[in-house]
Amino acid sequence: MQTLNIKIGGQAGQGLVSIGTILIRAATQEGWHLFAHQDYESRIRGGHNFIQIRLADRPVASWENDLDVLVALDEATITRELGEVKPGGVVIYDPDVLGQDAKTLVEKPNCIGLPFARIAEELGQPKIMANSVAAGAVWALLSEEIAVLHETLALMFAEKGEAIVQGNQSVASAGFARVRELTRERAVPAKPQGSEPRLVLRGNDALPLGALAAGVKFMSAYPMTPSTGVTEFISEHGRIARVIMEQAEDEIAAINMAIGASFAGVRAMTATSGGGFALMTEALSFAGSAEIPIVVIDAMRPGPSTGLPTRTEQGDLRCAVAMSFGDFPRAVLAPGDVEEAFYLMAHAFNLAEEYQMPVVVLSDQHLADSYVTVPPFDLSRIEIKRGRVVSCAEAGPDYLRYRCTDDGISPRLYPGFGDGLVVTAGDEHGEDGHLIEDAETRRRMMEKRMAKQRLVEENALDPVLCGADEPELMLIGFGSTKGAVAEAVEILNSQGCRAQGVHLPQVFPLPKSLAALLQKPARKFIVEANYSGQLEDLIASRFAWKPDGSIRRYDGRPMNAKFILDRLPGGVCHGS
Amino acid sequence: MAVDQRFEVRQETAWCPGCGNFGIVRAVAKALNGLGLDPSQVLFVSGIGQAGKLPHYVSGNVLNTLHGRTLPTATGAKLANGDLTVIAVGGDGDGYAEGGNHFLHAIRKNVNITYIVHDNQVFGLTKGQASPRSDPGMVTGTTPLGVYNEPFNPLATAMTLNAGFVARGYAGDQEHLARIIQAAIQHEGFALVDVLQPCVTFNRINTYQWYRDRVYDLDQEEAYDRTDRQAAWKKSWEWGERIPIGIFYQVKRPTLADHYSDILDVPLVRQELDPGAVEEILSEFRIG
Ligand SMILES: Cc1ncc(C[n+]2csc(CCOP(=O)(O)OP(=O)(O)O)c2C)c(N)n1
Ligand SMILES: [Mg+2]
Repeated sequence: MQTLNIKIGGQAGQGLVSIGTILIRAATQEGWHLFAHQDYESRIRGGHNFIQIRLADRPVASWENDLDVLVALDEATITRELGEVKPGGVVIYDPDVLGQDAKTLVEKPNCIGLPFARIAEELGQPKIMANSVAAGAVWALLSEEIAVLHETLALMFAEKGEAIVQGNQSVASAGFARVRELTRERAVPAKPQGSEPRLVLRGNDALPLGALAAGVKFMSAYPMTPSTGVTEFISEHGRIARVIMEQAEDEIAAINMAIGASFAGVRAMTATSGGGFALMTEALSFAGSAEIPIVVIDAMRPGPSTGLPTRTEQGDLRCAVAMSFGDFPRAVLAPGDVEEAFYLMAHAFNLAEEYQMPVVVLSDQHLADSYVTVPPFDLSRIEIKRGRVVSCAEAGPDYLRYRCTDDGISPRLYPGFGDGLVVTAGDEHGEDGHLIEDAETRRRMMEKRMAKQRLVEENALDPVLCGADEPELMLIGFGSTKGAVAEAVEILNSQGCRAQGVHLPQVFPLPKSLAALLQKPARKFIVEANYSGQLEDLIASRFAWKPDGSIRRYDGRPMNAKFILDRLPGGVCHGS
Repeated sequence: MAVDQRFEVRQETAWCPGCGNFGIVRAVAKALNGLGLDPSQVLFVSGIGQAGKLPHYVSGNVLNTLHGRTLPTATGAKLANGDLTVIAVGGDGDGYAEGGNHFLHAIRKNVNITYIVHDNQVFGLTKGQASPRSDPGMVTGTTPLGVYNEPFNPLATAMTLNAGFVARGYAGDQEHLARIIQAAIQHEGFALVDVLQPCVTFNRINTYQWYRDRVYDLDQEEAYDRTDRQAAWKKSWEWGERIPIGIFYQVKRPTLADHYSDILDVPLVRQELDPGAVEEILSEFRIG
């Protein structure tokens, strides 16, 4: 695989995202596959942020440490990140922002000083076009032709008018020309094969897109990083998609509003992160008791408390599985990449409605904010299953919301859609929904609701496998570690180690089929981004099983193949 | 007034004999019968407390949710199906304590629902603790030395937020209360009806007799102008020798549904679900 890693570092507010977006779009247009992750601080201006783009000649799902190109918009990028550049890698920095110490560091042949803002100004363009200068400079290391970059700029700035498009193109050409001139003897990578259309998007695009495809009609949320992207996406596209996204006064209101809408008969959701998710505790239990479908996206960030607001972790798993009081059925899904995120949202709504229960979809900052190229989504794969709903005609005046059935699923009626009255309560209730106190009804209702949990378990999503079929080493993970695990497995296999990756898109209830995998005579490691081993606990308590080892990351940074491989004990594989 | 009898009041309840809630539930049924609505078109959303049980005792759809969460839940239901007449019901603890923040924001949103608060100035169901509405000095299970927090004024608060319909009823005057509830339902936008409700078990201060001696109808005031917010706000502080009931303030403001009118031309619940509809949005992310 041919790959190329580009990191752009700078302060918040300096236009990192613009440069990143220009390059991501242009590289995709050129035929590259890519994975790009973002690292930013919890502030609006200043600090040190970066976006790191990995280009490859085939699909990639994770990031690499060593850099081919480092673009420094600030001094910290040089002082902190210079060491990550590979031998032969190129550094492009803005000399106007470097202090004396940093200037000494870049006195090397592979470092190119380019005053981005000054170049833009010299060409009579506003300072802000420094971003396009930088993009042009990087492009010179990727291609001999600037045409595709120009096309991308034209598309991106079309709305702002021809003058802005031309300004950006001219400054990009200047950045491009300077770097080409200085790196003439350096070969640009071969243009990747294939130019089939692709989508380039983040988890925070794919999740709401999946929800829209699934027919979500109502969302309410209260902003909290890193889930806010989902909320803003639905807000922005609400009018085209005919969906209401109503900002709530807090997360308690958000989930209860969504529950109200769902009760009335529409697909409804909310999105939040750690602290906000915790505030939804009581409502989750209500939805369980009242048997009202609801989908909650929890985009995880490192806790405890407000923790590291803009970083990544998988520390809410235990919470998602166990949060709230009393026993009630639920499911917890954990998409591992952008494609899975899209398709699993539809599944989440189906589960919520078929079993009339809360469904939690776990995302995290790494999935939420990382761009990846994927084949266009296949909308014919989206099936909308609204579960057992009685039609107006069937719903006679003797309709019972909680009618006891063999499988515990009572047909829903949307209020106002028939003569029957829909009576729903979170307090214990009888089949008619009115409040009860007697032991016998309580026992029956408890059993009716929990019967659904068994069905959810029987239909749980199977683990997604990659690598060797008869492994000697198994890496088990969930959520956004999927790409890192898959790449580690691939590297191990290329080194002669029969490794297999096991990704769990559903973490609760765990699929029974996992039991057979755990029986395989391989050494098994659990890979997860939290301190205490929450996935390990979950699997251990469900299957009375212990792994051979665990690989955990809890510094708020995303997992990748190197992180995993560095932590596998030596000699773990006979083949290697 | 009542010609129709489709809304029936259930005989068997979990309320204390003589509770002010009986007057409220009868007034609710009377108001709805008078409006000629069908129970299947009405949704009661209630919280937890003795007040929150009301929907179980009168015909209609019921969403009996958590303590304090009445208003956001009702807001979601109304946005999903604007054809439903949504009536939120709860106690003063439910609405002004546990759900206080929701109270402020539901008013700001101006969702078209009616909110009936059973204001017995006490936490009834949990057996007699202080509520935000308890009068200072009232001895309760949690205030052995008497209530010392400033009482919450729901009417003044609602008017401060420019609620479009602010009224107070009295459980002991069903005819009057039914009229107010009807007006609240007919009002387009958020309508608050705070109902003075004697609690015969835990509130020995604000009794039927106490109210009978004080309550008077604003409509009997000459030249009371319910569109004058300043005057209405001032009126809402009258609490002592004389206590006004009636519609304090009414004004029409755009509702939450008006804001979404282009999406809500068909109620959300009647819209088709079509995965293909995202094709246009997906194209933003498509390259090549
Ligand atoms: C989250 C939560 N906290 C506390 C309670 C206990 N609780 C039930 S009703 C109630 C207060 C009832 O007072 P009010 O809302 O005024 O209703 P009333 O019984 O007086 O009609 C409380 C504190 C609860 N059910 N849920
Ligand atoms: Mg009360």
